[in-house]
Amino acid sequence: MILDAKIPDGPLAEKWDRHRFQCKLVNPANKRKFDIIVVGAGLAGASASASLAELGYNVKTFCLQDSPRRGHSIAAQGGINAAKNYQNDGDSTFRLFYDTIKGGDFRAREANVYRLAQVSNNIIDQCVAQGVPFAREYGGQLANRSFGGAQVSRTFYARGQTGQQLLLGAYSALMRQVKKGKVEMLTRREMLDLVVIDGQTRGIVTRNMLSGAIETHAAHAVVLATGGYGNVYFLSTNAMASNVTAAWRAYKRGAYFANPCFVQIHPTCIPVHGTYQSKLTLMSESLRNDGRVWVPKNPGDKRPPAEIPENERDYYLENKYPSFGNLVPRDVASRNAKEQCDQGKGVGSTGLAVYLDFSEAIGRDGAPVINQKYGNLFHMYEKITAANPMHEPMMIFPAVHYTMGGLWVDYNLMSTIPGLFVLGEANFSDHGANRLGASALMQGLADGYFVIPYTIGNYLATISSGTQSTEHPAFKQTAAEAAAKISKLLAVKGKKTVDEIHRELGLLMWDSCGMARNAEGLRQALDKIPAVREEFWQNVTIPGSGHELNQSLERAGRVADFLEFAELMVVDALSRKESCGCHLREESQTEENEAKRNDTDYSHVSVWEFTGQDKSPEFHKEPLVFENVEPSQRSYK
Amino acid sequence: MGWINSLYRSSVGKKSIMAASGMLLSLFLFTHLLGNSVSFMGRDAFNAYAEKLHSMGNLIYIFEIGLLTLFLIHIITGIILYLENLGARPARYSVNTSEGGRSWGSRTMPYTGAIIFVFIIVHLMNFHFTDKSVPVADMVRQLLGRPVLGLFYIFSLLAVVLHLSHGVWSLFQSMGFNHEKFNGLLLKGALVFSILVGLGFILIPVLALFSRSFLL
Amino acid sequence: MSEIRLTLKIWRQQGPDAPGRLETYESGPISTDMSFLEMLDVLNERLTLEGKEPVAFDHDCREGICGMCGAVVNGQPHGPEKETTLCQLHMRHFNNGDTLVIEPFRARAFRIEKDLVVDRSGLDKMITAGGFVSVNTGGAPDANAIPIPQKNAEEAMDAAACIGCGACVAACPNASAMLFVAAKVSHLSLLPQGHPERARRALDMVKEMDELGFGNCSNERECEAACPKGISIRNIARLNREFLKAAIFSNED
Repeated sequence: MILDAKIPDGPLAEKWDRHRFQCKLVNPANKRKFDIIVVGAGLAGASASASLAELGYNVKTFCLQDSPRRGHSIAAQGGINAAKNYQNDGDSTFRLFYDTIKGGDFRAREANVYRLAQVSNNIIDQCVAQGVPFAREYGGQLANRSFGGAQVSRTFYARGQTGQQLLLGAYSALMRQVKKGKVEMLTRREMLDLVVIDGQTRGIVTRNMLSGAIETHAAHAVVLATGGYGNVYFLSTNAMASNVTAAWRAYKRGAYFANPCFVQIHPTCIPVHGTYQSKLTLMSESLRNDGRVWVPKNPGDKRPPAEIPENERDYYLENKYPSFGNLVPRDVASRNAKEQCDQGKGVGSTGLAVYLDFSEAIGRDGAPVINQKYGNLFHMYEKITAANPMHEPMMIFPAVHYTMGGLWVDYNLMSTIPGLFVLGEANFSDHGANRLGASALMQGLADGYFVIPYTIGNYLATISSGTQSTEHPAFKQTAAEAAAKISKLLAVKGKKTVDEIHRELGLLMWDSCGMARNAEGLRQALDKIPAVREEFWQNVTIPGSGHELNQSLERAGRVADFLEFAELMVVDALSRKESCGCHLREESQTEENEAKRNDTDYSHVSVWEFTGQDKSPEFHKEPLVFENVEPSQRSYK
Repeated sequence: MGWINSLYRSSVGKKSIMAASGMLLSLFLFTHLLGNSVSFMGRDAFNAYAEKLHSMGNLIYIFEIGLLTLFLIHIITGIILYLENLGARPARYSVNTSEGGRSWGSRTMPYTGAIIFVFIIVHLMNFHFTDKSVPVADMVRQLLGRPVLGLFYIFSLLAVVLHLSHGVWSLFQSMGFNHEKFNGLLLKGALVFSILVGLGFILIPVLALFSRSFLL
Repeated sequence: MSEIRLTLKIWRQQGPDAPGRLETYESGPISTDMSFLEMLDVLNERLTLEGKEPVAFDHDCREGICGMCGAVVNGQPHGPEKETTLCQLHMRHFNNGDTLVIEPFRARAFRIEKDLVVDRSGLDKMITAGGFVSVNTGGAPDANAIPIPQKNAEEAMDAAACIGCGACVAACPNASAMLFVAAKVSHLSLLPQGHPERARRALDMVKEMDELGFGNCSNERECEAACPKGISIRNIARLNREFLKAAIFSNED
């Protein structure tokens, strides 16, 4: 199968307009004959559900939490980008496009990224109209800040809770449609499988997490907005329930998976402090605007930070990258932190941390100013660590944060299975090999509010609006398979908990498929993962039954899929013999030990097709064409 | 008049009715206290004041009916709220602690309310539905001078203080008045008001019990 | 880092209609760097290995923002620390030998699903009743078209910070949801975008709240003290104002 991204013709700036004109429309009276399933109620899922319902489609929205207001978009702190140029500092659609594509290390599609930059402004307008309380200047105009290495101030924010406020905006729009009867909201439902009939998406199978009932739902199209798979590493900044299951099931039903090895490691997280630790907490990257990163110059220096004199401190980011300093992109910051720790210069009890020091900023701007900017973040840090960054430097360490890879989609956000659309972090489309700060919220909402409402019509207009029913044998078959998997899990009755095995997988992935990778480590991981998987299916223990609320069973189902998915990640990482975006391939470095991208051989999207259980996935290549930007080697020196 | 019905059926509406009736009752209490204070000016002044009141004729009946209505509204609404609130948490917690928001006053509202209700009945039986030919000063001395009744009055009036200590602040909140600038003043003011009103009233049974010369 | 040992009395209830009771467990050694939920994880891992059913509890982001976690610890929703969700409550705030009674949020409107898991869909239903601005996607005016005084935006944000965890209901002696409703009504009534529907919103949300069986506000201030986001009861006064204005003066019924 040749991958057709369906990128519209014409100049970059006109592609989206042209496409919207060329998209087939569904007659307003016919829209109510179409049923759409949306899985996930984070930013992408909630905004899509609301917008599609407003158009007149019948929407059924599913989430695994107790309320659609809890999707993990809610935890995004920093902000959302838009090319408004309110600050008159030279921003433009093209600059946001360029920054995003360059930030992604030239591994994303030009057309998609340009569209993202184009609709970014509409997102801000929409959110303000919904009552999102963005930060404002005294005069009442919206405030902006510069974020995550951007040279312009284009980030809109609502304190340190931008994701929460945007999600609550989308959630309120969604609940408005629930009131109108256009959206049926099904909470505490986990999607277990996708139903494909004659090559077309026809519905999903879910488990009611309270009763354990396996349920089937039919629709004309299914929209997956199920987020990323960072929890494959066990420890990440993702929510505990974030998982790959929906995407993985879709993959096994014929949707291709793109760039699974593209994972972003966020540089400013609170360091790990014990084996019982369940998750990592991110500290907003905005802290790097005023904090200075340093480690002791001498390896093994265990003195408290205050006792280390200025001349024995290594401000390694400022020294190595004079023009960007502490504001280098996430991957550079993360990699350098790991490098310093690998040299034995790490601080804290585990030696896996670096300092982020605000003393200079406090001296310069005064404590009240710094407190006003970061007070809530400092407070959060203090809650977790019992240390106050106003008085002593923060300790930070990189952690898995976001997955750029995801199900492959074309320009319409449709996967390789007709009728299956994928939005937000669950797809691969816009961030290339690295995502810029404050761009995840932008993409989730762009997909949900301003892309899918047009492109889904283009598909629905080509199919029959006849009633969809779950009577088809394929629904019964798929439901039976899902139930069988649950029975199989419960029947193992071994001696290890789900978390024990998950933790084992996570460590393996962090060591071999993290920020820096090499062929040998990846090959070893490929040997080890099946063994861990085998261990899981032989020795996991899950108390309770399938006919009740059973959180161990829920986790087990997710980990079972992570154990399969991890292998695909490693296969993908192994095949990409270049350093790029967030990851360093150790075989591909410059003389100065910086990441070396290889555009000759790897300027493509790596797309994987499922060929059968225990068979190697088939590799497909979607070449990336750059007509409007010149791929340059990033340099932040 | 459907809006009054729906107002009364809503939780916020009922609270505002509690607040409005509570405010008027507090005002009544204040004027009652002013009237009572005449007793401190001596027997003759007090008797004259009572005479003056009784001579107001129908006006006094209208006032009494109004007052009775206010009390009934306040009490009935209070009972409905109490029962609804009880029903809103059928299973109680095994450990009952406060987060630090409640005060002694707020915690005991229904109970102090009940005490005040009994007190009002006793009070009316003694001073209202009785032989009005006895000069009021003598009535006060005779009745409140009895230890049991006098102490019951003091106890009940302490309940009034507790009730007001929450009620007066609370009525502003229920009617939507809460302003950063005035909150401190309001909280303290409400407390001072309830203590002053309470002390003013309590002084009468205390004097009746312990002062030989009161109202003589 | 040090270790403590605790006695845990945890509410166990198999399902909504099953009887429940407090079960006693010894925590074993607990690092004081753990969060409360990690302490429960440790207990659950042990129970699982002993072949017993682990304690069911809701949780997701574990960074204090999703609002999914919450239980009542020794009578206090989200435990003893001010402005802290259960997932952000760390064990260093407890002492060796303490006994902790852990119960679900209790209210008629919050059905217990299992152990510490409760059904808080009532909160969503109140938002559905009117906690939104009726604006369709597309066609919104430029974001800077209506200036909003910084103070108003900040005050709106104070109210909008609500995470919908339900601790206010759990803490209220009357199981009232007033702080939750008040936060939403305040957030939207402080912004010009919320003005066209402010009367309808206040009436509808309060009506829904009453129908769901939440109690009445008696200004006990427990909600404010328990709220992990420190949302002020000033918002309740604002809701009262909005509601009374709407009920008495508006043409909405």
